[in-house]
Amino acid sequence: MKFLIALKNKADESKNILEIGCKIAEGFSADLTICYVGKPSKALIEGDVNLARKTLSEWNIHHPGLEVLEWAFNILKEKGFAQDSEFNIENLVEDKGRIRMVLPKTTNYQIRLVLREGELLSELNKEVKHGEFDIAIIGSPRRKRMTNKITQFLDTSIFFVKNFKPDWNYKILLCVDDSRATKRAVILSTRISKQFDAGIISLTVSKTSFFGKGYRNAHVWAERYLKRVGIPFESKLLSGNPVDVFVGESGEDHIIIMGKAKGNEILKFIMGSKPIHTAQRANCPVLLVN
Amino acid sequence: MKFANEITKNILFWIQQKHWLIIIAILGTAMYQLPYPDGISHVGYRTLILSIIVISLIITEPVPLPAVALLIAVLEVAFHIAPPAEVAKTYMNDSVFFIMGSLMMAVAIVHQGLDTRLALGIIRLTGNKVKNIVLGFTCISALLSSFIGEHTVVAMMLPVGLSLVRNCGKNKPIPNLTALILFSIAYGSTVGSIGTPSGGARNAIMLEYWRTITESGLTLSYFQWIIMAYPMVIIGMLSTTFLLQLAFKPEFNRMDTAIRRLKIQVAQKGEITGNEFLTILIFGIVFLCWIFLNERYGLGIIAIGGAFLYMATGLVEWKQVSQNTNWGVILLFAGAISLGVQMKNTGTALWIGNSLMSLFSPLIDQFTMIPYMLNIFLTMFLSNIMSSSGTVAVLGPITLSMGGDPAYMGMTTAISSAFGYFSAIAAPACMIIYSSGLVKMTDFLKAGWRMAIVSTITLLLIYKFYWPLVIGFTNFK
Repeated sequence: MKFLIALKNKADESKNILEIGCKIAEGFSADLTICYVGKPSKALIEGDVNLARKTLSEWNIHHPGLEVLEWAFNILKEKGFAQDSEFNIENLVEDKGRIRMVLPKTTNYQIRLVLREGELLSELNKEVKHGEFDIAIIGSPRRKRMTNKITQFLDTSIFFVKNFKPDWNYKILLCVDDSRATKRAVILSTRISKQFDAGIISLTVSKTSFFGKGYRNAHVWAERYLKRVGIPFESKLLSGNPVDVFVGESGEDHIIIMGKAKGNEILKFIMGSKPIHTAQRANCPVLLVN
Repeated sequence: MKFANEITKNILFWIQQKHWLIIIAILGTAMYQLPYPDGISHVGYRTLILSIIVISLIITEPVPLPAVALLIAVLEVAFHIAPPAEVAKTYMNDSVFFIMGSLMMAVAIVHQGLDTRLALGIIRLTGNKVKNIVLGFTCISALLSSFIGEHTVVAMMLPVGLSLVRNCGKNKPIPNLTALILFSIAYGSTVGSIGTPSGGARNAIMLEYWRTITESGLTLSYFQWIIMAYPMVIIGMLSTTFLLQLAFKPEFNRMDTAIRRLKIQVAQKGEITGNEFLTILIFGIVFLCWIFLNERYGLGIIAIGGAFLYMATGLVEWKQVSQNTNWGVILLFAGAISLGVQMKNTGTALWIGNSLMSLFSPLIDQFTMIPYMLNIFLTMFLSNIMSSSGTVAVLGPITLSMGGDPAYMGMTTAISSAFGYFSAIAAPACMIIYSSGLVKMTDFLKAGWRMAIVSTITLLLIYKFYWPLVIGFTNFK
């Protein structure tokens, strides 16, 4: 599997994203790409900025994005995810409009560092298409609209890391419904549950007290699968507004895992969807499975 | 179903990426269908629509800038603003040569690594007192950028400034000292870039507009520009030093460790090399030619002559020049100048200028300074959102038609386009220091408002009292 971690700065929040991302990737033995997307210069002054950056690099003052990647590299080293070596600028390769560095393979997964510059969504989309990632791990955007865009346009599973506390014991809230991606969400949740040593709450929510055939089947399938895998779980069927129930049940100490919505793309673009609204409103990490 | 969803998703992604392009296209089409306002010809109105489209595209950047330059040519012909041959002719002129030559020379000069020499020179001059270092950085950035261009100076000075900040080696954070050093380079080079025509592309563009847009075809030599603009540079250098120290109180007054480390860093460079000497010599020749031969040969031909010399002597390879020159910007300025010329030919510039002035007509009767003040505010506003050179390119034809003396109005536009103190996107130096993460957006505002007020007052005083004194030395009238 291939995972992408997008970082925006050297803040504590990014450190948490990096930590949770590496931990999950380790559980899946996934190759990991850590990507920083720098803000673009105004096109009119871009040439001048590039010329200045050239001389700056001769003074060993590199692109600010490289400093973020170096910081990420040191954290990986500190946490034992990367080999104990130096961050060598000479190992950077310019390739397809981005700068990348492949770190020496330590365990059974590969780590790459990637620097891009441009509009965030567009660059992440390019990186996801280029790397064919299974999960993109990113901090929760400040603007709700951005959460909508990222969920809809990044053609991969998205893990929004919000309010993550590395020292907390998280439980997994698995949202089960009749969407196509639910089965994949159930399978992924078992792997993540093992990695975090966390119990699973399988939750199916219907707007009314009546549960349709699709919902009931999905609920039963999830129960059977979780039993077969042998993970401790609790199963719930609740009625109410699904987003309200998911947000309410999850609180701050759960990792929500749910499938991305099927359905009309135009409606999703304008109105959003259950998973998008959940990711926007929840106060905990949310994984939306593609 | 899946295929249809995929296509819909791709279309939606394109729409959200290019929403500005769609809005601008709809706006342009709607304006085209609307009844024409009074006092402007059909062709003039179409030129106005094209100008609005171009300004919006430059600000919002939904398409690459060279594409905007191509669109100008296409729409000038498609809107029947000018025939293809005339459009092609207006795309290439001495100013475009000058911008091209300057950018190519910048690559050659920066490539020689003269920045370390500069660092040594500054250290010797300023010593280790923060006050003197700030004065030194501001003055040297300003003086150099007057002649070799802001972009070249920024590329050479910023490594020195950033190294000094990093070498401070104090455990506690030094945000004020950092801002002080970095802003002295950024604002210093901006202030200096107005001093001569070679200070920035915008000055060359204004020279072209004077020659082609004004009724009498105004011209100004390199030396005459210096006479007009240099007092502004000198006052600007000193006020920048003072105002920056007012805005950012440094955490300490001496930088012994940083200076010592910088000395060690640059000491390995050794004696001046032949290539470095030749680089300076060629620029010296170009500079003298700009002063003494510009009326005969034009600034642009001399600049590309200089670029030729750098390549002929092997100081820089064509590959380096071609990789590091922003050809897209050259093309855009060519397009913008072409549009500027058509704005004048079709009467659009005059109509916009008159419309703007009619809003203030009761005030203008009492205060003759109003057009100049409006010019300064408009230019300053636009340069903060679009960069300084782009501002002169799109605003020049309008300000020259706003009713004041075209000579003074043009000079005011060129100078006030350097007042982009409030944002990181106005100048390359501001962008770099901002993207380094060492200064915040609020720092631009903290220093910017003081700089903007002092610069505006200085410019108005120079217009009122100094230019009338020296106008006799120029061939403006």
